[in-house]
Amino acid sequence: MSSNPFPLSRDELLRAYRTMRTIRDFEERLHFEFAKGDIPGFVHLYAGEEACATGIMMHLTDIDRIASTHRGHGHCIAKGVDVHEMMAEIYGKATGSCRGKGGSMHIADLSKGMMGANGILGAGAPLICGAALASKFRGDHGVGVTFFGDGAANQGTVLESMNLAAVWNLPVLFVVENNGYAEATSVEYATAVDSYVDRASGFGMPGVTVDGTDFFAVYEAAGEIIRRAREGGGPALLECSVTRFYGHFEGDAQTYKAKGENEFNRANRDCLKIFRARVCDAELASERDFALIDVEVAALIDAAVSSAKDAPLPHARELLTDVYVSY
Amino acid sequence: MPLKVGVIANPVSGRDIRRVIAQANSLQVADRANMLLRALAGLAACGVAEAVMMPERGGVAGHVLRHLAQSANRGEARFPRLSFLEMPVTGTVDDSRLAARKLAGEGVAAIIVLGGDGTHRAVAAECGATPIAGISTGTNNAFPEYREPTVTGFATGLAASGAVPKDVAIAANKWLKVCIEGAPSEIALVDVAVVTEQNLGARALWRADTFRELYVTFADPQVIGMSAIAGLVEPVGRDEAGGLMLRLAPAGAAATIVRAPIAPGLVEPIGVEDWRRLPAGRAFTPALAAGSIALDGERELSFGPRRKVSIELVENAFATINVAAVMRYAAAKGLLREGRLACA
Repeated sequence: MSSNPFPLSRDELLRAYRTMRTIRDFEERLHFEFAKGDIPGFVHLYAGEEACATGIMMHLTDIDRIASTHRGHGHCIAKGVDVHEMMAEIYGKATGSCRGKGGSMHIADLSKGMMGANGILGAGAPLICGAALASKFRGDHGVGVTFFGDGAANQGTVLESMNLAAVWNLPVLFVVENNGYAEATSVEYATAVDSYVDRASGFGMPGVTVDGTDFFAVYEAAGEIIRRAREGGGPALLECSVTRFYGHFEGDAQTYKAKGENEFNRANRDCLKIFRARVCDAELASERDFALIDVEVAALIDAAVSSAKDAPLPHARELLTDVYVSY
Repeated sequence: MPLKVGVIANPVSGRDIRRVIAQANSLQVADRANMLLRALAGLAACGVAEAVMMPERGGVAGHVLRHLAQSANRGEARFPRLSFLEMPVTGTVDDSRLAARKLAGEGVAAIIVLGGDGTHRAVAAECGATPIAGISTGTNNAFPEYREPTVTGFATGLAASGAVPKDVAIAANKWLKVCIEGAPSEIALVDVAVVTEQNLGARALWRADTFRELYVTFADPQVIGMSAIAGLVEPVGRDEAGGLMLRLAPAGAAATIVRAPIAPGLVEPIGVEDWRRLPAGRAFTPALAAGSIALDGERELSFGPRRKVSIELVENAFATINVAAVMRYAAAKGLLREGRLACA
């Protein structure tokens, strides 16, 4: 075996791959299952963007908080939320992470620092400012990471949160997952200044753009930004250029995409393929190592879907529980 | 045939991690567009009627078009006609490469480039004999000189129109050719660094203890980046024959320490073991068995025992507009003056 050219051990590399593969399989399976009509509500799939969530979350522990988006499954899995509970939640079952009352867009697990997917665009940004302020007061060196898309980056709440984070020097990482489309509207049409780094500059915080399909680029950049925030260096923005393999939501005909765009991205910008090829090339792991993980992940997703389908629906008497939290 | 100049503006140069690990600037899209408009105004003032631009989706072209339309609404004629190359936009460095090939093929008199060292490298590799006029919008900008874009546009227009003779207006430049297993793979305009990190990661270089070898085409003590190390050891001009090569080591393990600005605001102690002149036309192989090669300050290639690299300096590799020489000539010959000039 050759020397390790990566800043992660072989075990960490395989863990990163397992996370990305779990997200991919989870989403591919949901794409298939949603078409059957058994899943209530909407689902928005993260397939194609796995390196972004995984490259960032490898630097976080349970003490660190994240605030996610409507496209939140990948963030949940990378932050360590239980896949069985997630699947059950999406099916609206009593065994789900939120007892089946939230669905895809409200999966949360505070024990893992996952403050929730969020159906309201840009709503995670002020939430994470609160979490980061709490960490700062406690002095626990926790950081907050909020994800939002290229569309939500134009929401007032995001901009107000950047201002607040800069003024209070909060340990926050603002992550723009730029997949090129706000629902069906392209970035070029809907955004006056196409670089999201410029927004960060407007609030006096550093902003960095990376290729979000390159796990190692995300990992290294996020590592430096998170370390800086933990040490009191303040907030920063990371723009990850990513691809969305599916539509905005399941059922989206994607007529706004160029012909062959999805096929091109799957062939040339698949973060899992890029990761696997690079690690194999460095002889840190073999195709067999990856194939074994693929088999285990497939079994996990199978089991999660089966148990979600078999699980009971929430009972009517549960309707008003967990709605309000007393402080 | 109207006088035509090409434009390649990279909308995303200068966006890397050096904004976080140092204090590199973050030039906004609107500023990039204004810089381009100033260069275009300089071109038009010298009689350039047409500019052809690389299409992009980063927002620079959109801002430029908006300003041009506003200017036209007000009846101004301060800018050349602007058209765009017909080509797909990938949002990667391949766009700059393809645009450079296409512009050279169209026979433009020169190509104005807005970008950092990486963008200029991509254009230089593909533009053949067409001269480049560089404008800095990147991080280190060791290659493009800092200058007001109006003046760069002015000089490019004077050179393109033939008002200034070629032997004055055009400068020859060196580059470093990097070969993998003997086959040409990449070039660098300013520096090639050999570092121990094999991981390309976020590309930029800033961990000084990983630096092992440095090859430079020129060494200017006034620039920042890897070539600053060489510049602080033994300055070598852009127009001088040959370059410089240095063996580097962690600061604690070398007899000589050079305090060099390796990124904006980041001054690091660099261990230097020795240096020598780098002659043109001779390939050198790094002593390090495995690591990565950084081109103009960014990790681009990893190498190891089964993937050997070599580095060679090439003279007269590509042409640039010598803005300073053009403007001096224009002043001396009165190219931009009308009427008699009295000396009091």
